[in-house]
Amino acid sequence: MKWTKADMTQYLPEKQYVDTLMIPLIPFDPAGDQQMAGQAFQRELNQVFTNLIEKEYRGRIFLSPDYAYLKGGYEKEKERLNEWIQRFREQPFEHVFLFTFDSGWKRHEDDLAGRLIWVPGMSSGSMKSTETQAFVKEQARGISELIQAYW
Amino acid sequence: MSDKKRVSRRQFLNYTLTGVGGFMAAGMLAPMVRFAIDPVLKSKEGGDLKSVASVDEITKEPQRFEWTIDQVDGWYESEVQKTAWVYKDDNDEIVALSPICTHLGCTVDWGSNDEYPNEFYCPCHGGRYTKDGDNVPGTPPTAPLPVFEHETKEGMLYLGEAKDRGGA
Repeated sequence: MKWTKADMTQYLPEKQYVDTLMIPLIPFDPAGDQQMAGQAFQRELNQVFTNLIEKEYRGRIFLSPDYAYLKGGYEKEKERLNEWIQRFREQPFEHVFLFTFDSGWKRHEDDLAGRLIWVPGMSSGSMKSTETQAFVKEQARGISELIQAYW
Repeated sequence: MSDKKRVSRRQFLNYTLTGVGGFMAAGMLAPMVRFAIDPVLKSKEGGDLKSVASVDEITKEPQRFEWTIDQVDGWYESEVQKTAWVYKDDNDEIVALSPICTHLGCTVDWGSNDEYPNEFYCPCHGGRYTKDGDNVPGTPPTAPLPVFEHETKEGMLYLGEAKDRGGA
């Protein structure tokens, strides 16, 4: 389920079946010229990933709106992110997964109210290249197996 | 020159007016006629079949095939990937089933659950379908898997729209 009107109308009466939440964590820093291309690429990659997983398991996974934050500042972001999770849990959601390519979260994993899925992403490349597509498909399969293990 | 062959002024005007009037009438009528018969000339929509696989590849065991179609969805025109489970049934007829679970839209897999090796299995809530796509009673789905329209031409399998088969 995505954050769209059509999906919400479908979700509300069926919410007992949708028990898994996925939040994409998207870092960005518009002040640093040299990182912008890489961060934008990671955002695209993150969207392809989460959409692929959502498409395959749309009856059980709820894809939250992107959690975008300024890179760094995890102490501050931690609180805000946990607040998001807490609000979502009122639906209720039993499993919460946070999907990111930003390794900075790994150190704060224990303080987060959801399970962090950190994937060492590609920092450069092209969305259209077959290499990227193969990487995404392969990783997405692995991640969905990981999620299924928690069900 | 004899008088008979001469065109009088009255005749000349008559001819000219008939000619010009006829031309104008034709100019007006032609589009109307075209509109009137338009539904007949229109090529059938939805009969848009896409080549998916070669017929020799299809076995008795359901296989997953993927293809893309162009879809206009309100604001976006995009390429959408479609998937089907295709196999030959006992009468050698090709069957193409949609992999979208009729419960909440997850993607079903063939034989992915060890307990039900010859069934389509939905990983989300354990929905099951028999090989011909009928939902197994007692599992969450309430309708069979939709079937794709299909056609074979020159050794290729063409698939069209998936058709719902109603609740059971």
